[in-house]
Amino acid sequence: MFGFLKKVGDYTKDAVGAAQYLTQGLSVTFDHLRRRPITVQYPYEKLIPSERYRGRIHYEFDKCIACEVCVRVCPINLPVVDWVMNKATKKKELRNYSIDFGVCIFCGNCVEYCPTNCLSMTEEYELAAFDRHSLNYDNIALGRLPTSVTSDPAVFALRELAYLPKGVMDPHGVPDTDPRAGKVPESVGASNSSANGDPS
Amino acid sequence: MVTTPVLSSGLDLQASFVEALAGMGVAPGVARLLWLPLPMVTVLVAAVVGVLVNVWLERKISAAVQQRIGPEYAGPLGVLQPMADGLKLVFKEDIIPARADGLLFTLGPVLVLVPVILSWLVVPFGQNLLISNVGVGIFLWIALSSIQPIGLLMSGYSSNNKYSLLGGLRAAAQSISYEIPLALAVLAVVMMSNSLSTVDIVDQQSGAGIFSWNIWRQPVGFVIFWICALAECERLPFDLPEAEEELVAGYQTEYSGMKFALFYLGSYINLVLSALLVAVLYLGGWSFPVPVEWIAGWFHIPIDAPALQVVTGTLGIVMTVLKAYLLVFFAILLRWTVPRVRIDQLLDLGWKFLLPIALVNLLVTAALKLAFPAVFGG
Repeated sequence: MFGFLKKVGDYTKDAVGAAQYLTQGLSVTFDHLRRRPITVQYPYEKLIPSERYRGRIHYEFDKCIACEVCVRVCPINLPVVDWVMNKATKKKELRNYSIDFGVCIFCGNCVEYCPTNCLSMTEEYELAAFDRHSLNYDNIALGRLPTSVTSDPAVFALRELAYLPKGVMDPHGVPDTDPRAGKVPESVGASNSSANGDPS
Repeated sequence: MVTTPVLSSGLDLQASFVEALAGMGVAPGVARLLWLPLPMVTVLVAAVVGVLVNVWLERKISAAVQQRIGPEYAGPLGVLQPMADGLKLVFKEDIIPARADGLLFTLGPVLVLVPVILSWLVVPFGQNLLISNVGVGIFLWIALSSIQPIGLLMSGYSSNNKYSLLGGLRAAAQSISYEIPLALAVLAVVMMSNSLSTVDIVDQQSGAGIFSWNIWRQPVGFVIFWICALAECERLPFDLPEAEEELVAGYQTEYSGMKFALFYLGSYINLVLSALLVAVLYLGGWSFPVPVEWIAGWFHIPIDAPALQVVTGTLGIVMTVLKAYLLVFFAILLRWTVPRVRIDQLLDLGWKFLLPIALVNLLVTAALKLAFPAVFGG
C-alpha cells in the first residue's frame, strides 16, 4: 500500500517537473519572438569582411622572385611555381604561377612568409564554380582584385558585430560615420606614448 | 449553471435560403437540394484557406522564434508563399516508384485526407453554422480519425521502401495508442454535457461566459486531449513517423507532386481541425468570453433583433477561428521548444501515463457529476 502511494507520488513529481521544464522552454521560445531578426539578406546585403579576413589570395607577378618559399610553407605544397634558369643572366625566369583554390585551405602561411610581399589575402569569398578545375587560378586570375562590398552599388554593405558602435546590435541603418566600439589601431598607437589606460 | 439555449432559434441560414427560394416559386424539396452543396463547398474552401494561413503562420512564427525573417518576397510579408508551394506541387511530376504497389500507393494519401475533411462535418461555428448537427457528432470524429492509420500503413507498405514501412508502422502504432486517452478525455466532456453533439457541448458551456468553459472543469482532460491531438497530427514532439533525421520522411519518402500535397494538406487540415475541436470541447466553441445575451441585455437590445443575430453569428465564427488559431500558435511554438521523443517514450507516455490519468479523470468527473449535478451537468 505504502509502496503504491510512493509510486503515485513519484509519478506526480515527475509530471510536475516535466510541466515546469516545458513552461521554462516555452518562455524561452516565446521571448525570442520579440527579438529582431539577425539575418543578413545575402545577395542584397553583405557583411563587410574584417581587415584580417583570409579570403582568396592575390598575387603580383612582377614582384615574385620564384624563391618557392610559399611552396615550402604550404601544408600541401599547393602553389605551382613554373620557372626556368636563364643560363645567360644566371637568374630565375618566372613563367607561370598558380594556386588551386579548390584545394587551398586559406591558412595564409604563404602570405606570411613571402619575402617580397607579392602574395596577399583579399576579402573575396564567393568562389563558387560549376567546375572544380576552374578554381585553379593562374597568375592572371590571381592578379585580379575583388569588387569591394562597400563600392558595389547592387549590395547593401553591413558592418560586422565587432565593428558596430558600442551597444548597437543591429547593423541596419547605422550611419557610416559612427565609430566602432573600442579603439582603431591608429588611436591605440597615439595613446601608447602617454599611458596604457582603459580601452574605452 | 443551468444551460439555457437562448440562441436556439438564432440565425438559420438554411431555413432563410429555403424560404427565399420558395418565395420565388421553387419547390421546398428542390430548394433544400440546392442548399445542400453550399455549406459543404464553403467549409471545404474554409479548410483549404485555413491550411494556407496555417502554413504561412508556421513559417513566419518559426522564423521569428529563430530570429529569421521567413518568406517575404511572394506577396506582402510572403502571404502568397503557401500558394506558390501548392502550385509547385500541382505541376510536379507524379512518380510511382518501381515495384511499388500502384493501387495502394495512390489510395493511401486519399484515405488519409478524406476522413480528415469529412470530420469538418461536425465542427460548429455557430448555433446553426455547421454542415450537419449529427447526433453522434464528436464520436463521428473519433471514428473517422481511426481510418487515417490505415491509409498511413497502406502508403508506408506499398512504397517498397524500408523508411516508408517503418514510418507507416510507427504512425499506425502512434495513432492507435493515442486514440484511447483521446476518446476517454472526450468521454468526460460528453458525460458533463449529456450529449455527443458538438452543438450541445458548446451550448452547455455558454451559461456564464468564460467561467463556464469546460477548461475550468476539465483541466486535466484539456491537457490530455491537447497532447493526444498533437500526437494524432504528428506534430513535433511526436513527429517520429516522419522523423527526417532517421527515417528521411517516413511514409512520405517516396511521394511527390500532388500525392505528397495530399499528405501535406491532410496533416495541416488535421491540425486546424484538432485546434477547432479543442476550442469546441474545452474553450466554449463560438461563445464570447462575456455572453452576447448579457451584453444585449445591458444595452436593452432584443435578443432576436436581426442585426444582433448577424453580429452574433459573425462573432461566433471569429471567436471559434481565433481560439483555434491561438492553439495552432501554441502548437507551432511547442514545435521549437520540445525535442522529439523516442518511440518507447512515446508509447510509455501514451499507455502508462495518459491512459491511467484519463481513466482517473473520467472516474472523478463521474463522481463529481453525481455529487454536484448543478456544476458538472446533472
